[in-house]
Amino acid sequence: MDELFPSELKARLSQIGDADIVVGIPSYNNARTIGHVVVIVNSDGGSKDKTQDVVMRAEGGADDLLLVSHPVHNSYRISTPYHGIPGKGSAFRTIFAVAAKLNAKACVVVDSDLRSITPGWVELLAKPVLEQDYDYIAPYYQRHKYDGTITNGIIYPMTRTLYGKSVRQPIGGEFGFSGNLAKRYLEKDVWDTDVARFGIDIWMTVTAIAEGFRVGQAYLGAKIHDAKDPGADLTSMFRQVVGSFFSLMGSYENVWKKVSAYEAIPMFGFPFEVGVEPLTVNTDRMIHAAQQGVADLREIYSSFLSPQVLVELTNFVHRNGQGFHMPDQLWVRMIYEAATAFRYRLLDREHLLQSLVPLYLGRTASFVLEVTESNATQVEERIERLGQVFEAEKPYLTQQWDAIGKEKFHAQPV
Amino acid sequence: MRSLFDRMLVDPFHRLADQSAHVVPILIMVMVTLLVGGFLAFVTRVLTYRLLQLAQFDRLVQRTGFSSMIERTGVFRSPTDMGARFMQALVWLFTMLFALSAADTPASAELVRRFVDYIPNLIAAGLVLLLGVAVSRMISRSALLAAVNAQWPAARLIAGGIRVLVMTLAIVIALEQLHIGSLPLLVAFAIVFAGIVFALAIAFGLGARDMARQWLEAKVRTSVAEEEVFRHL
Repeated sequence: MDELFPSELKARLSQIGDADIVVGIPSYNNARTIGHVVVIVNSDGGSKDKTQDVVMRAEGGADDLLLVSHPVHNSYRISTPYHGIPGKGSAFRTIFAVAAKLNAKACVVVDSDLRSITPGWVELLAKPVLEQDYDYIAPYYQRHKYDGTITNGIIYPMTRTLYGKSVRQPIGGEFGFSGNLAKRYLEKDVWDTDVARFGIDIWMTVTAIAEGFRVGQAYLGAKIHDAKDPGADLTSMFRQVVGSFFSLMGSYENVWKKVSAYEAIPMFGFPFEVGVEPLTVNTDRMIHAAQQGVADLREIYSSFLSPQVLVELTNFVHRNGQGFHMPDQLWVRMIYEAATAFRYRLLDREHLLQSLVPLYLGRTASFVLEVTESNATQVEERIERLGQVFEAEKPYLTQQWDAIGKEKFHAQPV
Repeated sequence: MRSLFDRMLVDPFHRLADQSAHVVPILIMVMVTLLVGGFLAFVTRVLTYRLLQLAQFDRLVQRTGFSSMIERTGVFRSPTDMGARFMQALVWLFTMLFALSAADTPASAELVRRFVDYIPNLIAAGLVLLLGVAVSRMISRSALLAAVNAQWPAARLIAGGIRVLVMTLAIVIALEQLHIGSLPLLVAFAIVFAGIVFALAIAFGLGARDMARQWLEAKVRTSVAEEEVFRHL
């Protein structure tokens, strides 16, 4: 573990000794927003915009750095570069190691591009861990209906379906977790994979659920952040998140196959109505991307999608405007077939994930067109209906998974 | 004194009989070798076909994408058929070599020696071609996906071009291994490749000047386009 620490950090941690709470912030070129965030450990990816300087100069005396239940008098501020593959996951790894080294009871991580964070967020994420023996607290916030489309369209309904816990923001970016869980994360050998990048959020959530840690969620209000992650484009982000999720399906096959229903998880904090920033989405461009994808990538799709799904996809994709509607069942089956193909390497995994991007954009355009006139409650209902389709189609996933596994390895399903 | 009849008819006949006594057994041996080899090749083909069928070779190849390429050639019915015929051809080749050795003439011995010396080149060329097919396929698919995700209209054209280019390079290297017109081919390839790069550079720099400017601007611009102001995660 010590090899993760630069010598300066090692000395600083020895000086600190033990800590109750560690708050970590992964950053890369976030000088504009990081001053909004309470800082204890800033794990930086080599920012060139003086992010680390801003962290060290951030306003707020030591007493109001943490507002857990009462002012904290012994608080420390560390800003350190991390080692490993450049990415959020590598930054988190350093934070986990710091939490483990300091024998922290609770650790909180928050994104550095947040503009809506308040000191109360740290309390909401840390308190259930400190006082009620929870191991993992995911965020729950209100977002614009067009925001978080990978979460709403794939990750949330699939996590719920496969692992049986209704974590609404499994890749939210802000989490509270116990020192024990941080140590468990460090034991895993995943730091050369996409988990070291954007795959970290879903990996943390799924690992916590699948390995039986106590999971809850905390209502944080609105999530307002920089519109786009610096240096991140959709294809790589999608590839890392969805690839990590598919990869976890292989690791926890014996867990998700046994799950037959999902359950709600405890919610901390008081839900209240908040305003969210309006967002604009160019659906025409997304539709065009989907149409081009289906036209140009047919050969790739035919290597992992079933003929029936391929026919349905071809039939709907040529419609334009309001007529562009991707049925939920089609979307769910495509994702399930892709997950199976990923597991059994029916084609190169990178290619598979990249080929899903046009389909995802088509699905997002279809969703946006459908909810244009809907309010937040109606949108939640719509996402709930999608979740039900994911659940209804789970036998299809299991059947595909087992059939292809059997065919590929002549092996009995696990 | 020997009669004219002996010299004109009997002697040539004897010479022919002597030569035949030497050649006919060889010819018979070559014929038998070819017949047995042909039969063995046929049996090998049938057995290989059955084995590949049992191993579901067609389905395996279908997943790699080579299946459609094989069928498109129109020479083979299926990948299994191709595999079986390849094995048959291999047995035939060895039969021919064996038959040539059996002939035991200076010409056939020289032919066999030259062919055996040539085998490493054949293997190297085959490997280069196989590698070329795999690499060109991988690179062109990567290019296709990148171009589609960037929403470039000529995505398939770009991918196809890359595939042709990589395969051409592989063919040139393979032919060089076979010592078939290596220098002219290499020069021709270099000229064509340089020409393509030069033409593209001119087309991009002059013909698509605005596009080049917009692309470079987009690369260095820090602000986010209006239609992209939502987060996917």
